[in-house]
Amino acid sequence: MATWRVHLVGLTLLTALLLSGCGNTPTAAPPVSSEVGTGTLEFRANGEDFVRQGFVTSDGWAISFDHLYVTPANLTAYQSDPPFDADAGGMPQAAVQVSLEKPTTVDLAAGDAQADPILVGAVEAAAGRYNALAWELVRAADGPADGAVILMEGRAAKDDVMLPFRISLDGERAYVCGDFVGDERKGILQAGETADLEATFHFDHLFGDGSAPPDADINRGALGFEPFAALAQDGMVDVDMSALQAGLSAEDYAKLTEMHLAHVGEGHCQNTSES
Amino acid sequence: MPGAKSIRWYYLLPLLLLPALALAAPVTAHGSNISYTIGPAVALVAQFDNGEPMAGAQVTIYAPDDPVNPWMTGTCDAEGRFTFMPDPDRPGNWEVQVRQSGHGDIVVIPVGAGMATAAGMGEGVARYAPVMQPVGGVGGYTPLQLLVMGASVVWGCVGTALFFINRK
Repeated sequence: MATWRVHLVGLTLLTALLLSGCGNTPTAAPPVSSEVGTGTLEFRANGEDFVRQGFVTSDGWAISFDHLYVTPANLTAYQSDPPFDADAGGMPQAAVQVSLEKPTTVDLAAGDAQADPILVGAVEAAAGRYNALAWELVRAADGPADGAVILMEGRAAKDDVMLPFRISLDGERAYVCGDFVGDERKGILQAGETADLEATFHFDHLFGDGSAPPDADINRGALGFEPFAALAQDGMVDVDMSALQAGLSAEDYAKLTEMHLAHVGEGHCQNTSES
Repeated sequence: MPGAKSIRWYYLLPLLLLPALALAAPVTAHGSNISYTIGPAVALVAQFDNGEPMAGAQVTIYAPDDPVNPWMTGTCDAEGRFTFMPDPDRPGNWEVQVRQSGHGDIVVIPVGAGMATAAGMGEGVARYAPVMQPVGGVGGYTPLQLLVMGASVVWGCVGTALFFINRK
């Protein structure tokens, strides 16, 4: 019996050690350094022109959004050295990092067609180069998107059909990304000044892009809008994850749940919630 | 050997978790890949994840001492290739951003001080990083993961040996 106990303890310890290696939990943030001065670091969320201006899906539906709610949480900016490569995996190695922990629901469709990316929040941060960003997408605890991780409300039109839609997506996610890729540099914070970082969402990955060829990479992996339109009742698409699981084909539902919307500008992120 | 029979199989169970460790490797989405080689100049090759070249992609290069203003801009050729010679008097991390069709990536190329000499760039080759290394350990695994994987292999060998010893 005693031998069994020894073996059981050994087995348990080894299993625990193995499992402990699977996590990618960010480390606690060190204190903000005052030696280099501080500035204001803004965290922003951006649905890009696809959300602000609408677009035509890969299957020909003209989509416009009235509201598109997401709830980022635990946004963490890193001064990563060496620079972080999301494709290589792991987590940023940073002596300086700052976080905006509180979940904040924002509407990516707010403002006009030329509106700036949506401000999620700002923190005082040590001056320096913030070249990596991690964040979580969590379920809204209250407000218009209560209970949803992503809530899309708008209209879709094709030929002589117009369908209002309200699509509520579930499934919390966590992402880690490298430097922002785009027309401008982000995250370069000078003492006494303001810089921003951006969590970018590519909804064309979900619906496809009618301006791209049908066999383009962006459209091969997209659902389009037709599978959602097929779930319309009484002239409206009003679905949550349960309805989507019941109504979509297994292939389309798998695509939906595996959809990777998170970017930093055009740079890609690693979905750490799948690790 | 008292207790040897009870070692037969269950000490091998942790080995079943090794595939799970493999699954714990980072999950990456679609996107683009930029590789480079170092010779007399830096030669980049930019491809989408499916292997297609990023033909005509926009290239923006930032020098180490000015990460805001581009040091050079250009476009990839039809094969997704782009070549440039960094200023050897500006050592540090040269950043190269490549973008096309809503996809993009940045690679960071460390360049050592005093790379250029009268003999040309060749003498500075060793001061370049020849390939990008994953952050946080070998192959993207943390040191703890590597340690546990090594311990599991050793443990598995011991268990296997005990299993066959016990059968005799």
